[in-house]
Amino acid sequence: MTGTTLYLALAAFGVLAGVASGLLGVGGGTLLVPFLTLAVGLSQHEAEATSLLVILPTAIAGTLALRRRGVGNAGLAIRFGVVGSVGAVLGVLLALALPAATLRIVFAGFVAIVGVKLVRDGLRRGVRLS
Amino acid sequence: MRAQASLPRRAERPGPAVPRLDSQLVVIGVVGGVLSGLLGVGGGIVMVPLLVLWAHYGQRDAHAASLGAIIPISIAGIAIYGIAGEVRVGPAIALAGGSIFGAQLGTGMLARLDERVLKTVFGVFLLAVAVLMVVRR
Repeated sequence: MTGTTLYLALAAFGVLAGVASGLLGVGGGTLLVPFLTLAVGLSQHEAEATSLLVILPTAIAGTLALRRRGVGNAGLAIRFGVVGSVGAVLGVLLALALPAATLRIVFAGFVAIVGVKLVRDGLRRGVRLS
Repeated sequence: MRAQASLPRRAERPGPAVPRLDSQLVVIGVVGGVLSGLLGVGGGIVMVPLLVLWAHYGQRDAHAASLGAIIPISIAGIAIYGIAGEVRVGPAIALAGGSIFGAQLGTGMLARLDERVLKTVFGVFLLAVAVLMVVRR
């Protein structure tokens, strides 16, 4: 894929990932990173870095939408995240210290755990709490 | 007397205007941040359950807190990855345009779909993705 075709495919996949995250609360990075490595051919590190740049505007748009509806406390959430950004720096430094192949296995393990969790939630009987 | 009278009124408020970050939130934020930076994801997948089960947030408030927290967390991650030269801006812009539109679409579809079927199908799909990531290189 090159040029315009690539960008159309990216935008289309973005819609899919967005729908998944709107529906299930997951599907941002969990879908973006495998797509960027397997289909677009980015390295594991490039895919993760690029995924974060997709997640940022999506989170801003989501937070603004929630604020308009009066859900949550955006100010507290941001300060909560500023504390979390210390962890993010550590996480990225750890990722950069790992070879791409290792990081890819770690990521695959994470995707598998999310998959198992979703299947378990989906198959659970009885009253839903959320 | 006056001070006494003003105390209960303060307690009746629904919540303090500037809520404090307690140690639980600090731990949850840092854990979410490490996961986000290490894997290039938002971190909501660990922050939301921890906020609900440990900090006793309601599901909606936990989602809102996690979503807001992802803003500074992802900025920090992008900055470090940016210095390392790993960020691909063009593809990110195309994906983000689609994703913001898609998220609104997905939220709107929420009421009309069976969440359990959806979770099961998507979960199985993710397991296939995990296998593919290990097998294909």
